[in-house]
Amino acid sequence: MKNFYRKVAFGLGPNDKIPTDPLKWATNQLNDIPEFSWKGKILPEKELRKYYGEWVYGDRKVLRKKFKNDKDGYKREKNKLRHATGQKFWWNLELCIRYSEALKSETPVLAKLWYFWGNHFAISEKDFLAKYTTGAYQREIIRANMNQNFEKMAQEATIGWSMIHHLDNEQNIGPKSQEARWAREKGKTKGVNENHARELLELHTVSPDCGYTQEDVIQMAYIMSGWRPEWGKKRLETGDVHFNPDAHEPGTKIVLGKKYKRGRKSLSVAITDLVNHPSCRKFIAMKLCRYLITDNPTEEMMEPIIKAWEKSDGFLPEVHKAAIEVAFNYSDKYNKFQNPENWLLQMSKMADVDLIPSPSFMDLYKLGNKPIKDQRALEYLMDELGQHPYLAKQPNGWSDISEDWMSPELLIRRLVYAREAYYKKSGKSQTNEFYEEMIEKNYDNPSEILQIINQYKELVHKHVILFNLPETLKS
Amino acid sequence: MKISRRNFLKGSATTLFLAGFNFPVLANTDKKKNLVVIMLRGGMDGLCAVPIIGDKNFEKKRKDLILDETIKLNSDFALHPKLKNFHNLWQNDLGAIVHATNIPYTKRSHFDGQNLMETGGHVPYAIKTGWLGRGMKLAELKGDGLALALPMPLLLRGIPSNDNFYPSKKRLPRTELLQLLKSVYADKSEHDLANMMEIIANRSMMNNGGTSMSRKNSSLAYKAGLELKKINGPRVAVFEVDGFDTHAAQGGVNGSHSDSLIEMDSIFKSLEKGLGSEIENTLVLTLTEFGRTIKQNGGRGTEHGYGSAIFMAGGLLKKSQVYTDWPGLKRKELFEGRDLNSTIDARSVYASAMSSVFDIDFKRIQKEVFWGDELINLSDKLFKS
Repeated sequence: MKNFYRKVAFGLGPNDKIPTDPLKWATNQLNDIPEFSWKGKILPEKELRKYYGEWVYGDRKVLRKKFKNDKDGYKREKNKLRHATGQKFWWNLELCIRYSEALKSETPVLAKLWYFWGNHFAISEKDFLAKYTTGAYQREIIRANMNQNFEKMAQEATIGWSMIHHLDNEQNIGPKSQEARWAREKGKTKGVNENHARELLELHTVSPDCGYTQEDVIQMAYIMSGWRPEWGKKRLETGDVHFNPDAHEPGTKIVLGKKYKRGRKSLSVAITDLVNHPSCRKFIAMKLCRYLITDNPTEEMMEPIIKAWEKSDGFLPEVHKAAIEVAFNYSDKYNKFQNPENWLLQMSKMADVDLIPSPSFMDLYKLGNKPIKDQRALEYLMDELGQHPYLAKQPNGWSDISEDWMSPELLIRRLVYAREAYYKKSGKSQTNEFYEEMIEKNYDNPSEILQIINQYKELVHKHVILFNLPETLKS
Repeated sequence: MKISRRNFLKGSATTLFLAGFNFPVLANTDKKKNLVVIMLRGGMDGLCAVPIIGDKNFEKKRKDLILDETIKLNSDFALHPKLKNFHNLWQNDLGAIVHATNIPYTKRSHFDGQNLMETGGHVPYAIKTGWLGRGMKLAELKGDGLALALPMPLLLRGIPSNDNFYPSKKRLPRTELLQLLKSVYADKSEHDLANMMEIIANRSMMNNGGTSMSRKNSSLAYKAGLELKKINGPRVAVFEVDGFDTHAAQGGVNGSHSDSLIEMDSIFKSLEKGLGSEIENTLVLTLTEFGRTIKQNGGRGTEHGYGSAIFMAGGLLKKSQVYTDWPGLKRKELFEGRDLNSTIDARSVYASAMSSVFDIDFKRIQKEVFWGDELINLSDKLFKS
């Protein structure tokens, strides 16, 4: 049962009391969205997007022209512009905010589910999104909606600037729209880009299980045509997302058999229909089970989550509670291989590893300067572990399937960074007593584990073994 | 420029298949053959790497990017002067080029294009496995892939238990500790973990005093060469080279496109060094998402284009050649009036390569890896049988 603390959160830290009712301990964390536990600066998405715009404009419109014959000069000035727009700093600050929720907040269960949703509505590696805005998107659109209906999160994520840019909807132009006509007059062709529409169906809502066709994808793309950033000479593609009727496909569209009229409202109506489709709740229930419990969820596991969804109209706190309860009921039977990020956070929480730079240290950063190495520690670390949360390779986010995380090199990272982490612990946690207590608190077979790790005398070796035992790798 | 459009590819494509028909597996030879793929990310400029000789259209459109002192390969094509190692291979019949080729992706997004170059599909993100992984699965090469990268590239997805190598900057724990973990995994019936710990414990170069190895492609390639050389080592290796997206200051011989080409060239050299005589049984291929516009832009760079080139190296090549169905560079010959056209589906080259290296009938690869798409078997033209 004690793996439950690691399954739905990151285990119990040295200052955490052992909950008298573990299930309640977990579900009580899901009703509200508390303030961030990070006490340093937190920038709004809009401001970070402004820096993104300054970077794109400066590079594309100024430097490329100015230094067309000077490769080295171009590199040098580009670096200056990077620092002037905080390109190497912001995502490190976002990681501090992100990991504080796992390690320092009263709601680690909420944090683990936040990471789930951030990955569900993933912004993968594209352009400079990770460097400027992905963290803020996950704060303002994903986490902020975790006490709302799924529909609200889906609506906001879909027309969020990050998602629109990420999935190319700015290039999605109705072939019979005004803009396509203007383009034709100039001898150019403009048409539909179905990328975002397909992912909305496939990854974000109903999934291919619902049986939509390629025609549904195209019709959905027509509905989405015209939603794009408001273009500006200086801000380029970083303007706020709006609906531009000139790029919108006229006429009625049909998706999954339902008709939608032309115009601005059709997208939100279509999303409402998608999130209410039975395939959507089934898909989300499956994904939650896969994230928390096992690679191959059973119908019985998904059932209570689907029920909670139906009863509450997709109200996320209720969906989450149902998922956590299922995870609790199956905690003795199933262990889930933890991805590198969740593994790192578990180790940091239970062994009291000083993972996150302090707010005051991060706030020393001055725009225009190169951030110092220790301010970038988390960026390097996540890259080394093979799972930077803002750099998923594809729009389907980081995998929740164990096999995808099993490779020699990824396992080597766990060995070497377990060792590194040991040296980031305070002296008072580097004692045998600390480890005995921690193991007692977090594992169901403490004596067996102690017997294994006690084959070594030095604590650092015990630490490395503990965090690479199957009991830890799988929770 | 003497080359003109030839019709030598017509009439050889077959697309009709009978369901349930088992294509015969070609006779398996005893020697171990290796396939190496180098992914060139960002859009490799085939016309910068392998320029056409004496084309007025080309010279006019690229005034500031024309290279001096290129290496003449034949009457029609030259080689970028910095590709010295490739040129050595070429002189020994160990280097060849396919020109005016690309995957069937005609839009301009790196992300979609790179996704498609790895999946081999038509719709970005629709396929979740790589053509190489699927080809290996067909050849039953489980556990024979080696990625020189930390996350497993999409290209190799589709077959489990691939190995990867990307040196950690930190020291690995002592061998006894690894052995202890291995025996714990075995005791607890965690066979996948135990297998991996076995691989890790055997990585001798990780255990020699903790000096961390370079992550430069040239040193990874040397290491990969040594592994591929082993009779029970991997049979497939995958590299990545970034930085081909030169929108500005692409420059001439010392420009930014050259920097990335030089990195690619260093992989050829180090692989050859590591492989030793086994270069004879190896085939190396490059892969990119698209070429670049012929016309230089205002920043003396180039924009995203279409047709590019494939570099090939190794003893499994038939001979040194620039294999192409050259489409020409006159305006009406260009793709959308701006790009070198692609007259050979790059996937024909990759399917033929897998057929030759994995000893699998081309039609099976065409059918099971590339969904029966209209590809052409170029094995006889490009590779030794």
